[in-house]
Amino acid sequence: GVVSESASGLPVPGANVIVKGTTNGTVTDFDGNYTITNVQPGDVIVFSFLGFATQEIPYDGQTTINVQLDEDAATLEEVVLIGYGSTSEQDATGSVEKVSSESFNKGAVVSPEQLLSGKSAGVRITPGGGAPGEGGQIRIRGGSSLSGNNDPLIVVDGIPLDQRGVQGVRNQLNSINPNEIEDFVILKDAAATSIYGSRASNGVILITTKTGKKNSPLRLEYDLKVSAGQIIDKVDNLDAQEFRALIESTPGTDPNLLGEYDTDWQDEIYQTSIGAIHNLTASQGFDNFSYRVNYNHTSQTGVLKTDVYERNALNIALNQDLFDNHLKLALTTKGIVDENRFADQGAIGAAVAFDPTQPVYDEDLPFGGYFEHNTMSNDQVIPQLQATRNPLALLETLDGRGKTMRNITNLNAEYKFHFLPELKFNVNAGFDYAENEGHNYRPRYAAGNGLYIQGREYTQEYSGINRNTLLDFYFTYKTELEALDTEMDLTAGHSYQEFYIENNNEYTVADDPGYRVEPSVINRNALESYFARASFDIANKYLISGSVRRDGSSRFGADNKWSTFPSASVGWKIHNEEFLLNSNTLSQLKLRAGYGVTGNQEIGINYGYMGIYSPSVGPARYQFGNQFYNTLRPEEFDADLKWEELQTYNVGVDFGFFNNRLSGTVEAYYRETEDLLATVPVPAGANLSDLLVTNVGETVSKGVEVGLNGTLIQKEDFNWDMNYNITFQDLEITRLSLGENPDFFIPQGGISGGVGNNIQIWKEGYDPSTFFVFRQVYNEAGQPIEGAYADVNGDNEITEADKVPYKKANPDYFMGFTNTLNYKNLDFSFTFRGSFGNYMYNNTQSGNGFVTAGTVTPQDYYSNLNSNVLESNFVNNQLFSDYYIQKADFVKLDNISLGYLFPGEKVDFRTSLTATNLWTITDYDGLDPEISNGIDNNFYPRSTSVVLGLNLIF
Amino acid sequence: ELELLPEDNRSTAEATFDSPEAYKQFLAKLYAGLSVSGQQGPAGDADLQGLDEGFSQYLRLYWMMQELTTEMAVIGWNDGTIKDLHAQNWTSGNEFIRTMYSRLMYQVALNNEFLRQTTPDLLDSRGVGGAERESILGYRAEARFLRALHYYHALDLFGNPPFVTEEDPIGAFLPEQIQSQELFDYIASELEAIENGISPVGSAEYGRANQAAVWMLQAKLYLNAEVYTGSPQYDKAMEYTQKVINTNYDLVDDYQKLFLADNDKNGAQQEIIFPITFDGNNTQSYGGMAFIIHAAVGGDMDPADFGVSSGWAGLRTTSALVEQFPGEAESDDNRALFFTEGQTKEINDISSFTDGYAVTKFKNVDVDGNPGKDSTGEFPDTDFPMFRLADAYLMYAEAHLQGGGGSLSEATNLINDLRERAYGDPSRNISESDLSLNFILDERARELYWEGHRRTDRIRFGVFSDRGVWPWKGNVPQGTTTGAHRDLMPIPASDLGVNTNLTQNPGY
Repeated sequence: GVVSESASGLPVPGANVIVKGTTNGTVTDFDGNYTITNVQPGDVIVFSFLGFATQEIPYDGQTTINVQLDEDAATLEEVVLIGYGSTSEQDATGSVEKVSSESFNKGAVVSPEQLLSGKSAGVRITPGGGAPGEGGQIRIRGGSSLSGNNDPLIVVDGIPLDQRGVQGVRNQLNSINPNEIEDFVILKDAAATSIYGSRASNGVILITTKTGKKNSPLRLEYDLKVSAGQIIDKVDNLDAQEFRALIESTPGTDPNLLGEYDTDWQDEIYQTSIGAIHNLTASQGFDNFSYRVNYNHTSQTGVLKTDVYERNALNIALNQDLFDNHLKLALTTKGIVDENRFADQGAIGAAVAFDPTQPVYDEDLPFGGYFEHNTMSNDQVIPQLQATRNPLALLETLDGRGKTMRNITNLNAEYKFHFLPELKFNVNAGFDYAENEGHNYRPRYAAGNGLYIQGREYTQEYSGINRNTLLDFYFTYKTELEALDTEMDLTAGHSYQEFYIENNNEYTVADDPGYRVEPSVINRNALESYFARASFDIANKYLISGSVRRDGSSRFGADNKWSTFPSASVGWKIHNEEFLLNSNTLSQLKLRAGYGVTGNQEIGINYGYMGIYSPSVGPARYQFGNQFYNTLRPEEFDADLKWEELQTYNVGVDFGFFNNRLSGTVEAYYRETEDLLATVPVPAGANLSDLLVTNVGETVSKGVEVGLNGTLIQKEDFNWDMNYNITFQDLEITRLSLGENPDFFIPQGGISGGVGNNIQIWKEGYDPSTFFVFRQVYNEAGQPIEGAYADVNGDNEITEADKVPYKKANPDYFMGFTNTLNYKNLDFSFTFRGSFGNYMYNNTQSGNGFVTAGTVTPQDYYSNLNSNVLESNFVNNQLFSDYYIQKADFVKLDNISLGYLFPGEKVDFRTSLTATNLWTITDYDGLDPEISNGIDNNFYPRSTSVVLGLNLIF
Repeated sequence: ELELLPEDNRSTAEATFDSPEAYKQFLAKLYAGLSVSGQQGPAGDADLQGLDEGFSQYLRLYWMMQELTTEMAVIGWNDGTIKDLHAQNWTSGNEFIRTMYSRLMYQVALNNEFLRQTTPDLLDSRGVGGAERESILGYRAEARFLRALHYYHALDLFGNPPFVTEEDPIGAFLPEQIQSQELFDYIASELEAIENGISPVGSAEYGRANQAAVWMLQAKLYLNAEVYTGSPQYDKAMEYTQKVINTNYDLVDDYQKLFLADNDKNGAQQEIIFPITFDGNNTQSYGGMAFIIHAAVGGDMDPADFGVSSGWAGLRTTSALVEQFPGEAESDDNRALFFTEGQTKEINDISSFTDGYAVTKFKNVDVDGNPGKDSTGEFPDTDFPMFRLADAYLMYAEAHLQGGGGSLSEATNLINDLRERAYGDPSRNISESDLSLNFILDERARELYWEGHRRTDRIRFGVFSDRGVWPWKGNVPQGTTTGAHRDLMPIPASDLGVNTNLTQNPGY
């Protein structure tokens, strides 16, 4: 037969022709001709070609089958959610990117954001530490606030989640089963986000979960991913021999305090982690009804001993059409039971500090069999209270468990008016409710138990509630104004959302009566909104869109309660102009530009504009006579507190060549945050604290984002797709002080070593992650000279005035690179991610890499040192030396995956092998160059994992 | 619904002061600001965010300013710029100076708010009447006393701090800077205004300020008048010192009792005019007495002897204090409370706890040696004697020698009262001719070391910065002089940065 284009009748060369469910197939030649053999009656022949809708034709003995393929509207017309409505990719005027399940990262992914890592320009996802179920940090265009939240707004099936998260879980997004995610839509610029108004400054991520498809047969799917992981690097500290040598050679030390053992404490606390993710899914669709039900079980142990994460989740999606499809009902409900055993992460720091000459166990001591630094008191052996605790004992004696039960339900009804089908009414009722409870127990014999001296076990019980309720309704009116050759799309609606958080905490204490029940803490806030949007597509060439949202927040006083967030954007579909319509190479070219205002109200506090009073709880009472009085404290407040506002200018070009075989987007933005919400020093005496959340300052951020997609090879049985994105970002504080003093700065970035030490600053003219350090002076041999710093201000003294802003933790640019290859039934993919221009403060070295860190201790024990001490030879701490500001550029091979599909008559069986966090290229000395705040201190190491996947579809 | 009010134990002012007991609880906060650092105790829900809670506690900071900057104390830790205090090379970026300043101004703001919430008009509008109204109006005198105390500390440390009263709003405005002369006058007028409105001696509850506390503060203010204003007012100092001495406060028989866990009831309360109270079960902080006691314990010292579970191995003293006592650590003067075993008198390395004698003056044990109430041994019961009668005796003598009046024989008698207590007999009493200003400076060291007076004393005698040398002053082992501008602390750079109404003190 011949395969041709339905529209032009031209032959389609290179189209795939395959017998369904087999590997029997061929490809059309230059004239669109093909021949296929070994076809049995009853077989189905599948014709496919990129950019065209696939056709399936049953074989019942025909000798010739000529096929006309229709151009696949889906590629260009693919529906993209944009918040209270949808558009198509080619009609989008804002910066909107959809990442669908086929391009998600592979591996035993527990946290949904990991699916996206490296996939989208402008989106940086820094994975958290290596704890099981740990969430990452998502930054869209780098975040725009200082003290305000910089996380994007996440909307799951229409419900905006509470930006403060949910208590008791490691990552609130873990409630969204990665297996059930259909796609992410990332709204980056204000033209796209401002319909979400006051919560949109940091971008919006819309997550859509899978639903059943209409008119589809019953499909059962079982998916299993089994993983094993290990850490591949440890903090480089002294071994027992080196440590002993150092202590013995340091004057004034008492080597008798050392032990006789050779313990690698890091080996003691880490283990091979294992995990399993099971997904069982059933879906089916009828004419008017479809369902999808998924059960998920996830369990994962940490590389840190005793750390465990477990999830049981049920997702149900029901869709029902009524009244001749005029009423569409959609119900999605997710029930999640999230259980954790939390390891005592203090063990990580303890393991690098604990004396390696001491044994792990000592049965003669009264600490449950563990060795601990100890002393005698009243003829009793007790722990040295100021000493580092045995890291393994810290882990094994803590029983810290928590359980969170959460339900996220959304009911959506869309009614298409009978008399005016272009007018639709949408109601969205959402409910996100979580209850958590947990405990921490430590037995009486554990030296890490603060009540050891009292001979009592330590117990803590906590619980909490998070409730998020939403009611949205909106009208959409979509019509064609033929006289004007214009398509018009109007939306207007109202939304109310309320967030309630309650928590309770009780625990044993040393003093009377031995147990303390803290009063419940309740925080409630609410948002009420009106929103509207109008979009016009004129002659299928010119796009104009505008939106406005008016938000009211319970967090601001009467004068500032309401604010308006408008946006406007335009687009020009140049490819639809006459002069390009017949181009063979250029298949898409669109220019876009947008401007908009968004806000940020996620400042953490709810009553910041009103003066409130807090009673003291616990032993913060004062003695009058023989009585002790609880106190009442007036809290700081700023009656003028108002919205943070971000103005964004965005321009972009979308292009596609060769029928979009090569496509891409280049985008540039400029953003200004005004009335920046920041926690800043308030003028002394002016308020009831030293720091106040108030509107102060401005930041400017700008960036260029490039995303490219290409199909390198497209052959009969071999495909190679590539995705590359690169992002250049620059963020700068342009105003900070209430008093307009350009020299003013605010220390940031607490570090370990002493108390109250910070390594970063906020200052006008600098990135907010800029380090603030002394410039180290080196001798001729390149060795740092202890305490010798550049006298920057030339006053012949080295004081804080000689500290300078130097380097920053945020990268200048970062990129992601994904390749997906298919050969017959074999698939292979890998993702690289890279980050450049970012620096790290190596607090692991600075905090423990000098002699007195080991020898000057409050009690009779010594503390282990970072091996860097052998290079620096520092005796005392040099915490603020730029010696510790280290280049942390990296390229990581995030994942590499190989899969094979065994098609079957009744069952399709796919198996895969994936390795994650496989390889890091970096000059950075520490464990990992990728730590979100740029301060490397007792970082929970990420494991390198191997994942075996099995997938069965019935 | 966008008008949401607190639903937990927090409440708006309106709701809070619905119950009249709230006023006394608010008053308790004004006092508690001297001893605890937040609303949970020992830590949690901190008043100030800029520095670790324990470190940001009022007494701890004030003590550090007064003692670490002099020959009295060194600290071995690596916390930020803590060592710059003894080295006298602090800058305007010093976080301890900054937090002292924040804490002082925070307390001022708290007291201002109290005065705003207790105006007679407001009480009337809230329907508070009768005896309740009268006692609340009495609380106002105490709030004004405490505010005067904080401003006195601010005057003494910073000279020209920002100035706010209950007339100012609460917000993010830029307060005006006050000059030391005006601040001096303000404090003097405030104290005069409340002198007769506050409870007379003997009628106030323990822990609360009475008339003697006001007089003590007036005496101290006038004693230092020349430093603050350029003109001496020793006659005024004498006047108020005499008022204090003429009360029925009395020296306790045993010097050590003043610094023990039961100093609110072992007789020391006879002598202590204004304490900052602590209690192992009720008033817990990682600053205050917990700091002064724990940080002084280390080396071979047995924490149990001090009624605490552990030492923090930080504080010691220099040889300059030790040598004030004849016979040094072994002196017959029972005020020489040192621990020497395993310690060297001279300091070679400030970081090493065993360099320099330890001071055993403050303890969390009672007169019988029993530890305080807190079974963890973490938080002492010991109250801090902020003002005590012995100081008034020494001030009398000094004011007399400075021409403030009184009599030489009375001055000598008062000093001898202290020395008789110190030696257990009159054998080391002095004669009238022995009494000199230098003697008084030394006697103040012997009597009042580690009680938060030394920096002020040395500045008044002109031997703090450009004169006067002791070990490790100026960051050299033998000590050296420093710039005279260090008699005032710098206005913190952070506040100068925010509040453009402020001018830095000269030299910084």
